Amino acid sequence: MKLWQKIFLYTLMLVMLAVGVTSILTLKNSFQMAMEQKKKAAFTEHEFLITNFKSLLLSERLRQNEILLENSRVKKYMEAAFSEETMESSVAFYNKNQELVYQNQEQEAPKELLAMAADGESYMQASGEQLYIVSKETLETRIYYFLTITDLSGVFRMHRDMLNNVCRISMVCAFGISAVLLVVVKLLLLPLQKINEGTRAIAQGDYERRVPQKGRDEISELARNMNRMAQAVEKNIKALEDVAEDRNQFIANLSHEMKTPLTSILGFADLLQIKKELPEEQRMEYAGIIKEEASRMRILSGKLMEMITVGEANLEWEEEEVSGVFNEVAASLGVVAKSHGMEIRCECDTGKLWMDKELVKSLIYNLADNAMKASREGNEVRIRGWFEKEVFFFSVEDSGIGIPKEEIGKITQAFYMVDKVRSRASGGAGLGLALCVEIAKLHGGTLTIESEPGTGTIVTVRMKGGAAHENL
Amino acid sequence: MIRILIVEDDANIAKLIEATVAIGGYEGVVCGNGQEAFRKMEKEGFDLVLLDVMLPDMSGFEIMRSRTNTEVPVIFITAKQELTDKVRGLRLGAEDYIVKPFEAMELLARIEVILRRVSKAAAVYEYGEISVNIDEHTCKLSGNTVYLTPKEFEVLVFFLQHKDVAISRERLLSAVWGFEYEGETRTIDIHIQQLRKKLKLKERLVTIPKLGYRLESLK
Repeated sequence: MKLWQKIFLYTLMLVMLAVGVTSILTLKNSFQMAMEQKKKAAFTEHEFLITNFKSLLLSERLRQNEILLENSRVKKYMEAAFSEETMESSVAFYNKNQELVYQNQEQEAPKELLAMAADGESYMQASGEQLYIVSKETLETRIYYFLTITDLSGVFRMHRDMLNNVCRISMVCAFGISAVLLVVVKLLLLPLQKINEGTRAIAQGDYERRVPQKGRDEISELARNMNRMAQAVEKNIKALEDVAEDRNQFIANLSHEMKTPLTSILGFADLLQIKKELPEEQRMEYAGIIKEEASRMRILSGKLMEMITVGEANLEWEEEEVSGVFNEVAASLGVVAKSHGMEIRCECDTGKLWMDKELVKSLIYNLADNAMKASREGNEVRIRGWFEKEVFFFSVEDSGIGIPKEEIGKITQAFYMVDKVRSRASGGAGLGLALCVEIAKLHGGTLTIESEPGTGTIVTVRMKGGAAHENL
Repeated sequence: MIRILIVEDDANIAKLIEATVAIGGYEGVVCGNGQEAFRKMEKEGFDLVLLDVMLPDMSGFEIMRSRTNTEVPVIFITAKQELTDKVRGLRLGAEDYIVKPFEAMELLARIEVILRRVSKAAAVYEYGEISVNIDEHTCKLSGNTVYLTPKEFEVLVFFLQHKDVAISRERLLSAVWGFEYEGETRTIDIHIQQLRKKLKLKERLVTIPKLGYRLESLK
C-alpha cells in the first residue's frame, strides 16, 4: 500500500472513531438526562394524583360525615377520579393481597414490583417503553397499592431520531473529511513524489539532475540530502570517467607510439625480403633503420616499465644525504654532457631526506636529460638543491630553446612532445616528464615549470620526502 | 611518370613509403610537414597524395578540409584505426584509408586501384613479346591472342605490376582470390605452371624456394 493511502486511511479511521465515540457518548448522556427528567415528572405526577385522591376521599368523608368510607364507595370515587377520558397516564389500585381493585386502562402490572412495595417505600421500574411507579398507600385505614404507568415511547423515539441524525451527519462528515484529507495528504506528499522521480532519473544515469528542495520540513531536508548525495555521486563518477579517459588516452597514445617504429621495422624488413638485387648500400640503410626503430621501441618499453614500477609504489624508503645523491648523478651526467659539448654545474646543500634513492636519481637524470636535449653546444645546465625548513627544493635550469607558453600545461602528459621530430631524433619517448611528476608525487612533492622560449627553462621540484614519511 | 606526394613526418616511414612506391614504378616526393604539403598539393600537380593524419603543424584532416584542388586522389596513411577516424577521413573525400603498420604490397595494390579508378594506371602492359590489355581483358603473345582463364589473367597482371618482387603464395592468394579464399596454395602452383606453358615464361617467372615466385624484368 502506498504511503499516502496509509496516511489517508489511518487518519480517516481515527477521525471517524473519535466523532463516533463522542457523539454516541453525548447521545447516551442526553438520553439519560431526558429519562431522569421523565421519571421525576412521572413520580411527581404519581404523588400528585395520590395526594389529590386522598384529599378527595377526606373531603368526601367529611361531607358525608362518616368515620370510614366503604370499600365500594372508595372504588366508586376511584372510578370518578381516574376515569379514562380525563387521564393521560394509566392508573391502577391493588388491595393488600395485591388483587386488582381498579384500573382505568387495561394494563399488565409487574407482580414483583408490587411485592417489593410491601415495605412501604415507593418503587419505580422501567420495563420496555413503560415506567411503572408503585407506592403503598393507606386509604380509609385499608392498605392499597397505587400504580401509575407512564408511557416512555416519546423519549425513546426522540433518542432513535437523534441516533439516526448522528449517523447521517457522520456519513456526510466522513465524505467531507475524506475529500479534504485526500487533497491535504496528496499536497503534503507531492514533494516526495518529485524526489522519487528525481532519484529515479539519477539512478538511471542522469547524474546532473537535482531534486527540488523548497521549504524547511523533513521532506525538503531529505531532498537536500539527496542532492548532496547526487553531487557526491556525480563528482565520483566524473573522477572515474576522467581516470578512464586518461587511461584510454594513454593507451591510444601508446599504441600510436608503438605503431610508428613498428611500421618502419615491418616495412623495411618486408622490402629486404621481397626486393631483388638490392644494392649493398641500400641494404645497409634499411637494416640500420630497422635497428634504430627497434632500439626506439626498447627505450619506450623501458620507460613504460619504469612508469609501471613507479605506479606500483613498492618503494624502498631510506634516509639519504642529498648532496651525496646529487653528486653521484652529476658525475654520471657530466660524462654525457661533455660528449655533447655541454657542462653540468651542480650545487647542493647538505641535509638528510627520506627518499627512494633510485627514483630520485631517475628524477634528476630525466630532468637534466631534458635540459640537455633543449640546449645547444657550449651551454650550461645548472642543478641546485636547497632546504627551506623541512622542505627540500631543487631546480634544473638550462638556457636552451624553452617551451612555448601554451604548451607548458600539456608537456607533463604521457607521450606529449612539443617538437615530435626533434624529440624522436634525440631518442625521446615522451614519457620522461610524466614519470618525473609521478616520482615527485610519491615523495609528497610538486613539479613546477617556468619557461621562456629562446631563453631557457627552470624546472623546480619541491619535495617533503622526509617530513611526510618519517612517521610511517 | 606518375608522381606521388608522400606527406609523413617520421623520416623513416617516409623513406619506407618512397621505396615502396618506387617498386610500383612511381616517383615519390617526400614532404615532412603539413603547411608545405598543403602548398605543394595546391600548386604542383601530383597524381596521388599519401597523407598522414597526425602532422606537427597541420593535421591531415585540416589539409583535406582546406584544399581547393579536389581533383587529386588522396589516401590517408595513419596509425589511428578507430572507425570514427576512418569514416571521418573518407567523408572528407579521401579515396582510401590505410592503417599503420601496413605491408608494401598492400599499399601498392591500393595505389594501383585508386589510379585505375581515376584512369591514370596503365591499361596496357608490355613485357617482351607479351602484351596485356586490361580494359579489353586480352593477352597476346607475338601478336597472337592467347586464351587465359580469368584467374590466370589476374595472376599475370599482378606479376606484371610487381616485376622483380618476390611474391609469396599467400600474398598472391589474397590479392587474386581474396582473403576469404581458403584454398590450398597448390592452386597457385597450377596457375603458375599454366602461365609458364601458355606464355613461354619458364625462365622469367622463377620459383623462389620457401617463398613464392618472382617475375624478372627484361634486361
